[in-house]
Amino acid sequence: MRPEIESLIKEERNKHTASAASNENKTDITALTRRSFLKVSALATGGMCLGVTLPAAKSHGKTAAADFSPNAFIYLESNGNLMVKSGRCEMGQGISTALPSVVVDEMEANWDYVRVEQAEGDIDKYGSQATGGSASIRTQYIPMRKAGAAAKEMLIAAAAKVWPADPKDCYAENHFVIHKPTGKKLGYGELASIAATMPVPEEPTLKSSKDFKYIGSYLPRHDVGMVIQGKRTYGVDTIVPGMQYAAIVHCPVLDGKLKSLDKSEAMKVEGVTAVVEVDRMKVPFGSLGGVAVVANNSWSAQQGVDKLKIEWDRGANGSYDTDSYMQMLVDNVTQPAEKMAERGNVEGAFNKAAKTLSAVYTQGHLVHSPMEPNASVVHVQDDRCDVWASTQSPDDIQSVLSQFLGIDKKNVHVNVMIAGGGFGRKFKCDYVQEAAAISKAVGTPIKLIWTREEDTRTGYYHSNSAQRVEASLDEDGNVTGWLHRIAFPSINTLFTPGIERAPANAVADLESHPFGISNYRSESGKAPAHTRIGWYRAVYAIFYGFSHGVFADELAEQAGVDTVTMLNRIYDNNENKAQAEQVARSKAVLELAAKKSGFGKPLPKGEGLGIAVHYSFQTYVAMAVHVRMKGDDFEVVRVDSAVDCGQVLNKDGATAQQEGAVAMGISLSKYCEIKFKDGAVVTSNFHDYPVMRITDMPEVHVHFVESDASPTGLGEPGMAPFAPALSNALYQASGKRHRSLPIKA
Amino acid sequence: MSKSITVNGVKYPIDVPEDMPLLWFLRERLEFTGTKFGCGKGLCGACTVHVDGNATRSCVMPISAMAGREITTIEGLSENADHPLQKAWLEVGVPQCGYCQAGQIMNAAGLLNNNSSPSSEEIEAAMQGNICRCGTYQRIKKAVAMAADELAKEVS
Repeated sequence: MRPEIESLIKEERNKHTASAASNENKTDITALTRRSFLKVSALATGGMCLGVTLPAAKSHGKTAAADFSPNAFIYLESNGNLMVKSGRCEMGQGISTALPSVVVDEMEANWDYVRVEQAEGDIDKYGSQATGGSASIRTQYIPMRKAGAAAKEMLIAAAAKVWPADPKDCYAENHFVIHKPTGKKLGYGELASIAATMPVPEEPTLKSSKDFKYIGSYLPRHDVGMVIQGKRTYGVDTIVPGMQYAAIVHCPVLDGKLKSLDKSEAMKVEGVTAVVEVDRMKVPFGSLGGVAVVANNSWSAQQGVDKLKIEWDRGANGSYDTDSYMQMLVDNVTQPAEKMAERGNVEGAFNKAAKTLSAVYTQGHLVHSPMEPNASVVHVQDDRCDVWASTQSPDDIQSVLSQFLGIDKKNVHVNVMIAGGGFGRKFKCDYVQEAAAISKAVGTPIKLIWTREEDTRTGYYHSNSAQRVEASLDEDGNVTGWLHRIAFPSINTLFTPGIERAPANAVADLESHPFGISNYRSESGKAPAHTRIGWYRAVYAIFYGFSHGVFADELAEQAGVDTVTMLNRIYDNNENKAQAEQVARSKAVLELAAKKSGFGKPLPKGEGLGIAVHYSFQTYVAMAVHVRMKGDDFEVVRVDSAVDCGQVLNKDGATAQQEGAVAMGISLSKYCEIKFKDGAVVTSNFHDYPVMRITDMPEVHVHFVESDASPTGLGEPGMAPFAPALSNALYQASGKRHRSLPIKA
Repeated sequence: MSKSITVNGVKYPIDVPEDMPLLWFLRERLEFTGTKFGCGKGLCGACTVHVDGNATRSCVMPISAMAGREITTIEGLSENADHPLQKAWLEVGVPQCGYCQAGQIMNAAGLLNNNSSPSSEEIEAAMQGNICRCGTYQRIKKAVAMAADELAKEVS
């Protein structure tokens, strides 16, 4: 290392990181206790910090510490700058804009003065930060509003004290408190220190939804300016002093073992300093086991991995073959299987039927493939561990690393970095635990970056699945009975290895589906797991949405009506009063998608317009997909997505989530399938595991149902209706029925 | 005489193994982390930079072939984030996770360097090497077209 290049690099880096550095929170925040609902403290630099602690669940009616979930931290500086910490993990879904904007709206602050920072992993301060299940908005909306409203009331109280005036004569607007009778104003910055001494309101008054300024608007993401300059730093971008770089190759088969290792050639690669065996850690998000190469740069580490001579003992899963496994799944749904749930009398309905119909639907494994491969920096020291990771769950990092290292969770310090895509993959912290294992072995901080090949071959896969649906129709074309048999290796096998079939919790979405057929039974067929199964954006809703959506189209054809008529008929026949709201809202999005897309209009030959609706994660989405055949291939021309997620927080972000769901829907409908042979994945990178590209992107039009119902999440629900709507469109366009994903046109 | 490379207008000696791809030299030697690693095989475009003004996949470009060349990364695309593409990206609100976006912008800038008024088909054809898993493609198309319009105004 020559000194001149070092100073040159330093000088250049300073230029480029200057603005990022100034964004760092330099204030010394007094530690907050968990005793009160809201806790305020003065900033060392002047200003106020408001920590919010709200009951996580109201049902207990107690105020025991365990019932309190701290949710937000608001830092108002004396210059008026406002920093809101975002406790939930950001992976592109826009949560770090949506939730802070709720605080700012209630606070009557000006978004232009707001900076959002990602909170460090701290379950005591922020409550669970495990980000998945489209749950952030659903669970955090009210706490965030209360936090903002409380801050506003304290600022008003502060102004009233200064003037002095009656707080009732004062109101807040756009970062100022205004005295109504005189028109006097005081800025939030000027008031911050005094506000910090005001009592914290226990039940702040929330705004009326008609007064919302940011909630429900099109608000740009807070970090677009950083992204377009390449200044947004992801887990993979972390740089810490003394850091070495690592690459890893895993055992290609679940629970296989290292048989022999020859590292001599790897050690000869310039820059390589060590080869480390990483053991399988048999906890849900622990390492699959592999061999890592450590070097002074990532390229040398990757070259080193390529030079390793390894023999694996493939073990009991070494014969996993997805082609024959799929045949087994299909066999297991075409014969009676274990009953999961039942209501009414399915056999009775089938016996009395005018017609019965059955179909089998299948889907292969998927891998998440976020653009940022798994990466983290970890530094293990005697009694502490520091982590910088793109993650969806700092909680799990703390828990897995504390088990692995034998140290207290509190000593695992997790710096949560924005994830370059997550889609469920970065909920699982095997890559962080591996970096910890390597750091522990070599004694320096380690940046471990998985190659795309490892990301593809040794992931946590979306279940491959087979479903058989059988239904009966009466003479008027009403659906009278529904038998739904599924077989897929379940996510539960991560937590309870050896489970032989998907258990009740993985089948519950069938039972609660708003179709609500009176005579109904679900059955789960045998499907042991031979690889790691994991949540993939929308999870079960992908294949349950597919089977319900396509089968509704097939039933419509049998009954001689169009799909919208058939779906409305099914919903109208739902006698379960508890599902009345779900039925009404499902019908409303269906109608909106049909109307906006012109469903039912005549189309030129070779074109089709399919429709499907699905309720998942408490959100309703209907999609109408317009396709055009191009020889044996097809193109998606236009998608109309109708959404009811209650009150929309940010229309820009919400729209983006639908556009993204369509894109990912096209990928999994047209291209994506992970296949195994001899226990291992046969594909490795984007050439043989293709995903959709810009040339496949249709026009996407998103339509929201105007609503002030409680907001629900949007990260996943858009995924479910796309594939069935596409399949239905293709049937109309080509006469060919597609019941398997990906679709082979 | 050591070989050197110019990155964002500054000359640096090449002091790494000669088969190291430009990507890793930029990210780990010079610490310009705006350029991203996505696939390592030139398949996804996340690592796109300009070599003498042309969009190039830095993950498959050995540093030894870069001696004497002028490299521009996202950090050096404009002085004040005011390249027409950056302005259009901001206006349209393109990014979701943002990870692929530096590559998308640099690839689009390469296109506009060679064709300042691309048709929508030309935009799609030029951008099809850049993958976005969040699905921002519709907004990318809109932003590139918007930037091209802006450039046309600047020229006329």
